[in-house]
Amino acid sequence: MAERVLIVGGGDGGTILANALDKRRFDVTMLTASPKHMFQPALLYVAFKNASRDIAREQRTLLDRRVRLVHDAVKQVDLKAQVVTTASGERYEYDYVVLGTGIRTNPGEIPGLAEVNAEFGDYHSSVSQAEKLWSRLDAFQGGTIALGQSTPVIKCPPSPIEGILLTDELLRKRGLRDKTRLVFFTPYPRAYPAKPMNEVVEPILRERGIEIVPFFDVDKIDPETRTITSIEGDEIVYDLPIIIPPFIGADIAYEPANVVDASGFVIADKNTMRVKGTETAFAIGDGSTTPTSKSGVAAHLEAQAVAKIIAGEPAKYNGRTHCPLDMAFGRGTFVIGTYDTPVRKLPPTRLKHWMKMAFARFYWISLRGWLEPMFTVYFKLTEPRP
Amino acid sequence: MTDETPHTMVDSRGSACPGPITDLALAYRRAKVGDVIELWATDPGVEPDVHAWAAKTGNEIVSIENEGDKIVVVLNIVRR
Repeated sequence: MAERVLIVGGGDGGTILANALDKRRFDVTMLTASPKHMFQPALLYVAFKNASRDIAREQRTLLDRRVRLVHDAVKQVDLKAQVVTTASGERYEYDYVVLGTGIRTNPGEIPGLAEVNAEFGDYHSSVSQAEKLWSRLDAFQGGTIALGQSTPVIKCPPSPIEGILLTDELLRKRGLRDKTRLVFFTPYPRAYPAKPMNEVVEPILRERGIEIVPFFDVDKIDPETRTITSIEGDEIVYDLPIIIPPFIGADIAYEPANVVDASGFVIADKNTMRVKGTETAFAIGDGSTTPTSKSGVAAHLEAQAVAKIIAGEPAKYNGRTHCPLDMAFGRGTFVIGTYDTPVRKLPPTRLKHWMKMAFARFYWISLRGWLEPMFTVYFKLTEPRP
Repeated sequence: MTDETPHTMVDSRGSACPGPITDLALAYRRAKVGDVIELWATDPGVEPDVHAWAAKTGNEIVSIENEGDKIVVVLNIVRR
């Protein structure tokens, strides 16, 4: 009898894994609440360029037809009994479970932020929130724009830099840059947390006249006085706040409960993605604690490694990142590193920007695994060496 | 330091981008005055970052030591 693999979540990692598993050997079921699959990096361009082409597709069309797809929200995962229970009360037994449950924004964690995000939008939550942010930027006529991440762990570490540089580009094109003070705040000691990449990023921010406020970890926001206060005791007064909210894991009860951390991220081995204390459960993508960037490329590579491990082949994930960073005005770069090799200093070029834009088109077929031979060669060629 | 002192262990060894500073910032966010944070890292960049962080936040560095294959940083949270 084929072994039953249950995939919880229909994002990048879950979809790649479902398609990669050998359906002659495994009976694959995916449980996901949403019938739509969103290309999440597109939110950046909705918010800062009002570009909304090809953001989401039907999940069914992205999966091998032999994958059983069930639209239902998972409520409980019992790792001891190997049973998953959904919102509709269905129970699914499994031989292997893969948790690709992702993370979602949680502005309620910071006093005042839910109100600010509701009024001004944000570019990490949803299409409607990104559209709201665009409408605020579109109506902006001058003043102070403060942009930054409220807490240290976010989806897509390059996205704050991308946001501030695209804001600068938009304002310059509209002739509003002289009327605007652009403030970039970050909880880190410098604009980009990885130092070699900061050596690329920070001079560009300075050249564009963007103020950098490091060690600014958002404690609270007062919408009345339009003031953001940091844990470190500093303040920024804004006219337009673009604040990346904190993130939490999926609302799922685990047995045992200690497999998730304080943010609800599933604690997993950083090389095998096995959930703490188990042999039959794996966590991939943003929703796990693997100490790598919360990005599509990490989810993709983790999914490919887990597909091999479940099939009994030797495989491990080495922490590889390959995150595109849009530097505005048609230039881009990549943040490339592994667990053992620090991020390299890679200057922005037009080619790298083109590659980021081209990937947005490849994304949908990349989920099917058809481009895997090409990715394997590309990642090998660009593999960082100590 | 007594046995009752809340002691947060943060193992940031072999972490990829964005690296150990993420873990320190997160531990500080969750800390209270009186806590002790012990951070393990392999990235040598952690040392200047911890000095800059302590100078900015007004917290105390108890020690930064190379222990074979890891750097062990111990911090006293006196301001938060």
